[in-house]
Amino acid sequence: MRRFALIAVPYLWLLVLFLVPFVIVLKISLSDVALARPPYTPQLDFSAGWEGLKTFFSELDFENFVFLTTDSLYWKAYLSSLKIAALSTVLTLLVGYPVAYGMARAATEWRPTLLMLVILPFWTSFLIRVYSWMGILSTEGVLNTVLLKIGIISDPLMIMNTPTAVYIGIVYTYLPFMVLPIYSALEKMDESLIEAAEDLGCSRFAAFWLVTWPLSKNGIIAGCFLVFIPALGEFVIPSLLGGSGTLMIGKVLFEEFFSNRDWPVASAVAVILLLILIIPIILFQRNEQKAREAEG
Amino acid sequence: MAQTVFAPWTDPDQKPLIEFRNVTKRFGDFTAIDTLSLDIYEREFFALLGPSGCGKTTMMRMLAGFETISDGEIILGGQNISAVPPNKRPVNMMFQSYALFPHLSIWENIAFGLKRESRDKDAIAARVEEMLRLTRLTKFAKRKPHQISGGQRQRVALARSLAKAPKLLLLDEPLGALDKKLREETQFELMDIQEKTGTTFVIVTHDQEEAMTVASRIAVMDEGRLVQVATPPVIYEQPNSVYVAGFLGDVTVLEGKARKAGDVYELHWAEGQPPLRCASPLVLSEGQTGYVAVRPEKVEIHHNKPEDDNVLRGKVIDIGYLGNLSTYHVELGNGQIIKAQNFNTERDTRRSFTWEDEVWVNWTDRCGVLLEG
Repeated sequence: MRRFALIAVPYLWLLVLFLVPFVIVLKISLSDVALARPPYTPQLDFSAGWEGLKTFFSELDFENFVFLTTDSLYWKAYLSSLKIAALSTVLTLLVGYPVAYGMARAATEWRPTLLMLVILPFWTSFLIRVYSWMGILSTEGVLNTVLLKIGIISDPLMIMNTPTAVYIGIVYTYLPFMVLPIYSALEKMDESLIEAAEDLGCSRFAAFWLVTWPLSKNGIIAGCFLVFIPALGEFVIPSLLGGSGTLMIGKVLFEEFFSNRDWPVASAVAVILLLILIIPIILFQRNEQKAREAEG
Repeated sequence: MAQTVFAPWTDPDQKPLIEFRNVTKRFGDFTAIDTLSLDIYEREFFALLGPSGCGKTTMMRMLAGFETISDGEIILGGQNISAVPPNKRPVNMMFQSYALFPHLSIWENIAFGLKRESRDKDAIAARVEEMLRLTRLTKFAKRKPHQISGGQRQRVALARSLAKAPKLLLLDEPLGALDKKLREETQFELMDIQEKTGTTFVIVTHDQEEAMTVASRIAVMDEGRLVQVATPPVIYEQPNSVYVAGFLGDVTVLEGKARKAGDVYELHWAEGQPPLRCASPLVLSEGQTGYVAVRPEKVEIHHNKPEDDNVLRGKVIDIGYLGNLSTYHVELGNGQIIKAQNFNTERDTRRSFTWEDEVWVNWTDRCGVLLEG
């Protein structure tokens, strides 16, 4: 009985926080839009009994999913999101790896401070930080003012409301998710491994490429998924920094829900997004499991 | 069959493989190695022995190229290697932690250094197989380091560092992580492999038994200086200082004033105790402070007063039974404790000496060592 209770806790958690919301969204995605509150039909009416249940199910259909394939906006938004998420993951890795490497090689007494500095931005609201990037990147923003004063540029850079601004925003926001797993992989590494590689004839670079890089692989994979998965459905950054020119599925989803009030189509978009995300999530889990097995 | 004794250090025509010439290493204000000169010859199994912090690991890391030299130079095979980076030195090192690459198999670990030399594949494979055979690891070639035992890991580390056939192999506390029994077996294995490959080995250890077992010569170090460099028997039987005598093995040291008496010295060391007679090649002035160091196994223990040199009367206060021998702590009238060891050659469980026994201890004038400090 106690064992059952112990196992039940995570399953209950999943049921309440994942499965039930998912079933609700799935149900809405199979419904039709209506001028009502809530804005879709059919509604489940238990008072009608068995007959009511039957008519309820007969009214559900896949029409919204079919609609998604007819309008190019949706698959373009999915593709564009995948591209932006993939590219910003690579960019975050390029920025995050040296940061993590530097932290892991820093003197032991400095490491907690450096770790703190990486985590510290989380103590401020995410929205405020994205808004401050608007202040930095806009045409009359801090960045342009400084660059113009120094004389590096003669015309202000147009970064705001472009994909570049979205990349900057995503890299900035998700950098800690990349840095922390890579740092923890590098920190565990025995430094004499590098000396051994050099002793056996490796140059500094070869030692890094043949020893450090493969040993931080699990951290890199974990970090990439931790950035890629949330970046794919990102809504706030593209809508605040990307302007109307940036097409991302998170923004489309928001507009379907709140501007068009077409809950069924919006739910269909969300269900497809979830299906796309399941693939990297499963790969991520498998990587974690493999890493645990290799250690144990 | 007559065998020539291996002792190139006694031959003035021999050129040493490694020469430390007035080498100094400073870390900030701290001097780890202090103007040290040392020659190590080809095919030697040379041990650097000392307590932690004596500079022995620093010496080894300077040979490997991981530490720069503050002053002086290191010559390897006639070439000054002070400025040569570690990956260009004909020197390999076996690390204390073994430093096996966890993501590579045993085979790939051993091949790692060979692959950096751009040899052809067949030559690499042949060399790896040879190393696997030498260290009896053929069966484990495909495993990863975490899938084998500590002793096997130690052999992989050895095979990997020997694979490139270095002129010089450095071993940093190579057996420190093994348990006592395995350590003893591995010591003999190390000696075998050293003989088979003809490589010069330099081993760093704080374990005096290990150094005595494997080494052709031992350098005893203290605070960045060499205290004595000699063969194990010389280090043990003719230590040049109280420090060396105390560092290797068990010893009783008595301090007193030395006086010449015929062809031996007499050490007047305590009121009411007879002076200790000790033969010595040293020349001490009359009344100079000297020390007599005597190993417990050289001290005899008797029930009745023997007619001999250096006879002292005391009482047994402690007995350490080790199976093959017993150590007795004999307290003299003035409180001084003399350690004596007897072999238990008979299977008689009744001991001939027991606690509180009044006994006589003695040693001949050739058994004690006279030291100046």
